[in-house]
Amino acid sequence: MKTIWFHLMPYPELPDDFTSEHRSVWVDIDPGLFDPRVGHRMYNEYIDELEFAASVGFDGVGINEHHSNAYGLMPSPNLIAAALARTCPDAALVVLGDSVALYNPPIRVAEEFAMLDCISGGRLVAGFPVGTPMDTLYAYGNNPATLRERYHEGIDLILKAWTADDVFSFNGKYSKLRYVNCWPRPVQQPHPPIWIPGGGSIDTWEWCARSGYSYLYLSYFGYKAAMKTMQGFWKCVEEAGRPANPFQAGFAQFFGVADSEAEAIELYREPAEYFFNRCLHVYPGFADPPGYKTLATVRNGAEGMVERAAREASERAAEVAKKSERKAAQQSFSAASHMSFEQMVEKGYVIVGSPDQVAEKTIEMAKQLHIGHVMSLCHFGNMSRDLAMHNTELMATKVLPQIRHLWDEEWDDEWWPTPLPSSQRMTPSPFPATPR
Amino acid sequence: MITLVPWKAGSLEIWEEGEGPTIGYVHGMVCAPGRLPFVAELAGRGRHVVAPSLPGYSATSPSSDIRNVHDWVFALSEIVDRSGLAGCPLAASSTGAMLALELAAVRPEAFSSLILIAPLGLWRDDNPITDPFSTTLSGQRALLTNDPAVTASFFDDATDGPTVDSMIQRYTGRTATASLVWPIPEFGLTERIHRVSCPVTLVWGSDDRIIDPSYADLFAESLSDCRATHVVTGAGHHAEWDDPVAVAAIVDAALG
Repeated sequence: MKTIWFHLMPYPELPDDFTSEHRSVWVDIDPGLFDPRVGHRMYNEYIDELEFAASVGFDGVGINEHHSNAYGLMPSPNLIAAALARTCPDAALVVLGDSVALYNPPIRVAEEFAMLDCISGGRLVAGFPVGTPMDTLYAYGNNPATLRERYHEGIDLILKAWTADDVFSFNGKYSKLRYVNCWPRPVQQPHPPIWIPGGGSIDTWEWCARSGYSYLYLSYFGYKAAMKTMQGFWKCVEEAGRPANPFQAGFAQFFGVADSEAEAIELYREPAEYFFNRCLHVYPGFADPPGYKTLATVRNGAEGMVERAAREASERAAEVAKKSERKAAQQSFSAASHMSFEQMVEKGYVIVGSPDQVAEKTIEMAKQLHIGHVMSLCHFGNMSRDLAMHNTELMATKVLPQIRHLWDEEWDDEWWPTPLPSSQRMTPSPFPATPR
Repeated sequence: MITLVPWKAGSLEIWEEGEGPTIGYVHGMVCAPGRLPFVAELAGRGRHVVAPSLPGYSATSPSSDIRNVHDWVFALSEIVDRSGLAGCPLAASSTGAMLALELAAVRPEAFSSLILIAPLGLWRDDNPITDPFSTTLSGQRALLTNDPAVTASFFDDATDGPTVDSMIQRYTGRTATASLVWPIPEFGLTERIHRVSCPVTLVWGSDDRIIDPSYADLFAESLSDCRATHVVTGAGHHAEWDDPVAVAAIVDAALG
């Protein structure tokens, strides 16, 4: 099993009264809440954490793309990946990814991913998410009625740009390019492995199964609640006539490791509550615009991750309002919608405990969901760099050795990067102390 | 009477009521054929009302060909011909009124006159149009009419058929609206509106929470033959749903 150290890069200094005084962490969050000095510190510390994770033995480092929010401050994951490509010499660069429909023309994604694959010597995983409705539709103004068609057309263009032997014309509905000629080209041939992050869309399962892409279920809600989604995906794999190779799937999970369970609960309570209560404080009006879901998903009643987060926050606020007869709380999502850490642990949103406990639960999760890639969130919310590194080190040194070989005897990871041999890969060379 | 006629790869739904001179009605964000009292009210005034459902709404098939306002205008042009509305007067609401103006700009003979209820299509930075999709379903419902109860036939699940089907139909209708208004319902009409040569009557709900009634002045100034502006007191954005009698009377009077 491969474990990727995945960073969301949340803004760490949202005020204590954020949920009562602000309606959403996304789209219309008050720009006055962002302090660039915090941003300077935050980005540097977060890059430190990713580099540290790579140095202590995680198989890969993972990042993604979001806009106009304090939940995840990577409008351009490729910028972060470029830095990591130089400073993390062996880890896979798992970019999950570029929201294809937001790039006009999407050939930009083909070019930048090819750059990353060249810089890293072939260590890129190319992730293509549709993107959340807040990012794609509200922040970037895409039309929900055409978003998915635009997304799929963009991926077709990227794949053809990476693999075509000659310059070609691309006459799409949304991209019309007389000359497509992708320079540079990726080291990995015919192209880097493709992973598709998803939030529960049925059509995405079928498409990944049929196309042979790796499906990443990016849930905030723990493995206990993920069974239905992953069973749906594996059913599609079976129907596509493909083997149930666990490496064709992954799952995102929050982890908090300490010397004991009691210590873990003490250490990770605050950052987890910060994440689930402030970073997921999404106004429901931004979570489910018509057209974003496919009709098959609507018919199935499947609920997206963000939609669920917004709904649960709304329901908690409504419950409190009902009890206190303060109807206004239903609209304002007051601090009363707070979810406790105990609830998060009980529901499996966060796996906490000693290294052995975490390893046991992780193996249980991986077997239940049948996944070969774990997107491990060892930093969440407003966790300090020191605590993130402590968590990361314990995970790397005491948990990963227990889970790493889970699928080794049965399956090969066909979705992992195939870099140049290390002897052929460039590493940053030190400059001479005194210029000549 | 509601009929389905073949159209493209699917069907076009046309609702007809009454006898007399023909007038068309093109719906806005709310479409519920057979259940809009405004149409019955017009029919009761001796009009033959022809109300096609636009692509994606109600039983008219969604069209994968529609990607932008140009495609929408082309679709409306075909629907007008198919419904026998070419050269007739047309009442249209909200997004439908925006499309009617766009069509009349490129095809000035399409309608003999227009009665437009709170049309979209123009934009003022100092008074932007409310985004009807930055809210929940119930929030949107409250934005569209002054009395949310009047749009129950669109927003509430059917009690006389499969709930999932009515939910899907509402979803595709709302998706069609989103495709028209997202992210800003202004596609250059201001450069074309001078080409609308037929007489136009404007109708606005006094309590419109989507587009401020002051936009009526902007439309009136931009049109070459705006005959009158009527404000319906107590009505919201879709005034024909809030006060079908008052709006039907305005339409009737405008037609003479």
